[in-house]
Amino acid sequence: MSVKHVLTTCPYCGTGCNFFLQVADGRLVGVVPCKTDEISLGRLCIKGYNAHAFVQHPDRLQHPMIREGGQLKQVTWEQAMDRIVKEITRIRDKYGPDSVAVLASAKCTNEENYLFQKLARAAIGTNNVDHCARLCHASTVTGLLYSFGSGAMTNTIPEFDNAECILVTGSNTLEAHPMIGARMLRALDKGAKIIVVDPRETPLSRISYLSLHQKSGTDIAWINGMIKVIIDEGLADEEFVKQRTTAFEDLKNAVKDYTPEKVEAKTGIPKEKLVEAARIYARSDKAMLAYAMGITQHSNGTNIVKGMANLAMVTGHLGKESTGVNPLRGQCNVQGACDAGGLPNLYPGYQRVDDPEVKAKFEKAWGKQLSGKPGLTLTSAINEAMAGKLKAMIIFGENILMSDPDLGHVEEAVKELEFLAVVDIFLSETAQKAHVVLPAACYAEKDGTFTSTDRAIRVLRKAVDPPGEARPDWVIACDLGKRLGSSGFDFPSSAEIMDEMASVTPQYGGIDHDRIDKQVLRWPCPTKDHQGTRILHAQKFTKGLGVFAPVHHAPPMEEPSEEYPFILTTGRNLFQYHTGTMTRRSVKLERESPEPYAEINRSDANRLSIADGERIAVSSKRGSITLKARVTDRIIPGSIFIPFHYAEAAANRLTNAALDPISNIPEFKVCAAKVGKA
Amino acid sequence: MARVAFDERGADHLLLMREEHGNVAPALISKGEDVGDVRLDIPYQLITILETVYSCVPKGKIAVITRRCDEKALAELTKRGYVDEERMIKIGLACSREQIAMCRCSDPVPSKVDFGEPNKPVPTDELSERLSKMSPDARLQFWVKQFRKCNKCFACTHNCPVCFCDDCVLEERTFVPEQGIPPGLSFHMIRSYHLIDKCIECGECERSCPAEIPLLTLRKMLARDMKEIHGFVPGDPKTVSPLNTTLEGEPMEEECDEC
Repeated sequence: MSVKHVLTTCPYCGTGCNFFLQVADGRLVGVVPCKTDEISLGRLCIKGYNAHAFVQHPDRLQHPMIREGGQLKQVTWEQAMDRIVKEITRIRDKYGPDSVAVLASAKCTNEENYLFQKLARAAIGTNNVDHCARLCHASTVTGLLYSFGSGAMTNTIPEFDNAECILVTGSNTLEAHPMIGARMLRALDKGAKIIVVDPRETPLSRISYLSLHQKSGTDIAWINGMIKVIIDEGLADEEFVKQRTTAFEDLKNAVKDYTPEKVEAKTGIPKEKLVEAARIYARSDKAMLAYAMGITQHSNGTNIVKGMANLAMVTGHLGKESTGVNPLRGQCNVQGACDAGGLPNLYPGYQRVDDPEVKAKFEKAWGKQLSGKPGLTLTSAINEAMAGKLKAMIIFGENILMSDPDLGHVEEAVKELEFLAVVDIFLSETAQKAHVVLPAACYAEKDGTFTSTDRAIRVLRKAVDPPGEARPDWVIACDLGKRLGSSGFDFPSSAEIMDEMASVTPQYGGIDHDRIDKQVLRWPCPTKDHQGTRILHAQKFTKGLGVFAPVHHAPPMEEPSEEYPFILTTGRNLFQYHTGTMTRRSVKLERESPEPYAEINRSDANRLSIADGERIAVSSKRGSITLKARVTDRIIPGSIFIPFHYAEAAANRLTNAALDPISNIPEFKVCAAKVGKA
Repeated sequence: MARVAFDERGADHLLLMREEHGNVAPALISKGEDVGDVRLDIPYQLITILETVYSCVPKGKIAVITRRCDEKALAELTKRGYVDEERMIKIGLACSREQIAMCRCSDPVPSKVDFGEPNKPVPTDELSERLSKMSPDARLQFWVKQFRKCNKCFACTHNCPVCFCDDCVLEERTFVPEQGIPPGLSFHMIRSYHLIDKCIECGECERSCPAEIPLLTLRKMLARDMKEIHGFVPGDPKTVSPLNTTLEGEPMEEECDEC
């Protein structure tokens, strides 16, 4: 008899809840919340309670496979690794190192992501390394780096409890970050005023103080409108603006034409509501901004994020308890994958690859000549593959054939690759197309760390053995690095990988596995005696002065037309997660949300004679899917919403791959679509 | 703790709370293993945990740190044959004043106190009193407002020691449609009535509710009805629920364990 309760970190959203995995004789039998965890407070959402369910699913990949005659056939690790090394070496020698790209993973640990980028940079010789942060908060990183000098959540999750005002936009917090939503409910119960700005009605907006529905793609208009009200009514924090920021005159000029009337015409938000929201946010002492994909996933996402930063700076809601700009990151380790350097232009710790001093530092640390040329982003890598310039990809735990926009295009691009290796826990849509598939250990089967959305470094502890011959990604990356002839890939455990990462990543300088075993530390934590940082930009901004960026409303790349009269927006729901590989194999989650659907406003449905539950076809210029109509008042007329979890009606067949020029994030949140009976 | 459980009471296994990784963790250990730093200040719902792991412990006596409410939960389980009473050893824990206040607990002292000091009960639940004085309409409004915060995490069933049906009616589509959040009134009403002859008021549902819905108050108000109408109070190993008797008031022969 062996029964264990293993404390570990949830593999779903970026909140970083800890819980105990219950293990009985090597089987995962349940999840018990951790009552002393400062993030979850002994509470979990439905995904957390079911986080054990997919781990020992019979569909788990157990053996390496190589494609032969169109079929994936089981082989030994030796054969699979030989094939990868042979192909990568061949392609690199023939076309150069920049013909190869590595995709890191927001589902893997910090230690693993550190190795993935080292694999690309030191072992293969390219900065072509990126991951799905490109699809979610790339514009947060670029936007907030410009405004503040740091692209992370400025404050922490527990601080939501004591906020007096929380302005939530583009975040369906109760569904996508349920335990952060729970904090907002606590604030609400204590009398906080919650303002939600969203094209959809959400479970949070229904109980909020003010609920504003803007037309998708008009965010800068309402943000600038609020800033104008704040300046005109003398509600700006003049002291803060004077002492801590620069370029305020530019901002004033930029917003001067955004009168409440004009904003109403553009966004559909009644002017009285806009004014009231601006006043409440500005006048509250403790006011927090929280946002997610509704802000970032636009072709002008970087500018919208800068607009959010402007709003916080003009009111001085920064650098103090229960204030700040709080991007809510959606994957367990998307923050950490960025921190660890899984980005084509940045080494670990957001150090630029094109800065010669930084490059010299990493060349010394790794004992290798490195490329100073920024690599391809995930989205541009797809285009380069299509153009025949990118020849090979090694993908760790990403499912680009579900998660990327305009899937038809991605499928064509993947076909052009000479070689594709996928390391994953299930045979995902992407793994199905690979030449070599390697079976990986999942979160419950390895040690390591995730960094949550509020910069807390959280610990993963191994609870059970991986199935079959599956191995942790860090073991696979070490093996690949060594086989590609590179030194610096000898690590006995993930703790030593963190030690190396800490030595080259200033924000993580004080982090080691022993320290974080017993305490929650948030970066920046530069030294071993540093206690971590809860609130960023407290005395000064990371870059010195905060910079106001004059930003203007710009229409989305694709607007409704006669042929495609609807605005399609995509997102997730409470019960499913991303491309569904894990949640759709969890019985209780799948029960709650078993099939794809499109939300359509009642008036639109009536006009088109579409009944609730009827099958409809939704099409854009790029493709068409059929799914059930969910007739609702949750969404404004003229818009439809489709969650992107379902392979059988993949929303990303329809989405537009138009990119924000600065961050390369795609415009998942707006494209033109038409609706008809199936 | 080890002395009491293993030496004095002859346990083979011990279910307890202890310090791990700077947190308080539940742990099931066997005789001879180090108990570690036992923590009694943060009680976990060990009876719920026991139910999950019980079948994995095929032999021997299991000692459990048991509050008064846990004793009652065990009684409900043993009555229905889910747990063999002969195998259970109760290590009595008297709740602290703070814990009693948190649970508005009217019955906080276990039948044998091994750890902790017995403290006075809290005779009434203020919120229950306040709600009882409201008009039915105002009371409904209060609950509707609370239930709007429900995010369907199922923590109230997941952590409940007396929620042990194999097929949960809350996962059955007739009454609780999939997807809908917040779930309707029926979700909470079905759960409340389903537990009316089992709930031992441990308060775990309320403590684990992310929305902090005062679920314990809801249980307490229904428990009062059960007592007034049927003269029945759950948690006594010798009594049978009036929902489990024949029309003649006899215990049913082929009792459905789940009800």
